[in-house]
Amino acid sequence: MSEHTKRLTQLAVLTALSLIIFAVEMQIPNPFPIPGIKLGLANIITVYAVYHYKAHEVAAVVAARLILGSVFSGNMSALIYSASGAFLCLAGMLLLKRVIDEDHLWIASVFGAVLHNTGQMAAALLILRTPSLLIYYPFLLVSGCLAGAFTGACAQLVTHRLKGWKR
Amino acid sequence: MKYKVLVIIIAAILAAGIIGSIAVINSTDKSTVRVLSDGKEIYRADLRTAQDTVFDVEYQGHVNTVEVRDHQIRVQSADCPDQTCVHMSWLKSSATPVVCLPHRLVIEYADSSDDVDAVTG
Repeated sequence: MSEHTKRLTQLAVLTALSLIIFAVEMQIPNPFPIPGIKLGLANIITVYAVYHYKAHEVAAVVAARLILGSVFSGNMSALIYSASGAFLCLAGMLLLKRVIDEDHLWIASVFGAVLHNTGQMAAALLILRTPSLLIYYPFLLVSGCLAGAFTGACAQLVTHRLKGWKR
Repeated sequence: MKYKVLVIIIAAILAAGIIGSIAVINSTDKSTVRVLSDGKEIYRADLRTAQDTVFDVEYQGHVNTVEVRDHQIRVQSADCPDQTCVHMSWLKSSATPVVCLPHRLVIEYADSSDDVDAVTG
């Protein structure tokens, strides 16, 4: 099997996995009424991929996840918020990857989550032009720190378990 | 060493978020109050700007006297037998509205975050 095909297949598996996680998480009722607050379990895959694949490969996985995810959830209008959040998060994590090694992955994940929420908030402010939306931002920061630490810890566990899967 | 710095930054972000959240929770609730008599709103005011005033609320011949003073609101006196509403004193939090059950009177903080939620839908 050529190296290229192998990589493509692995990326496809990652995309499928994150979509499954996304779909399962959608079924869990959210106790917080504020849009933007959720665990974001699908980002476990993103965090993992950031540390094991090239930048454009991770971007492809995330883009496919976002588009297919919004099709599955039937919420196309949310795509612009999640996309702006996801790509700000991705850009930040790709930079942080140079500073933070794999054993401290959760730190990168927390920054990624906070950047994700910041991107969402910026998009919402640009689209809705309602400055009072900013009162949600502190809540998003708290949820970003907690959710980011959780998904980061999960990703660290995955990294540990998957050693040897990808050569 | 550099991880220590990063963790401190995270802690700072978390602390800023928590402090901000607490500030938001405290500020959005505690401005606009309303007085409901038998479910109908008969008085609404922003406590930060409200003039000191005393007014009577009548329900089926019974009277509660509501007082607004120094940006606070309470039931000053009532002719009900239990006087619970008078003993509750000044309205303190949105979780504990001042209520006079026999006269169907409620003094509570109006939910001022309504307009924000309407935007986000």
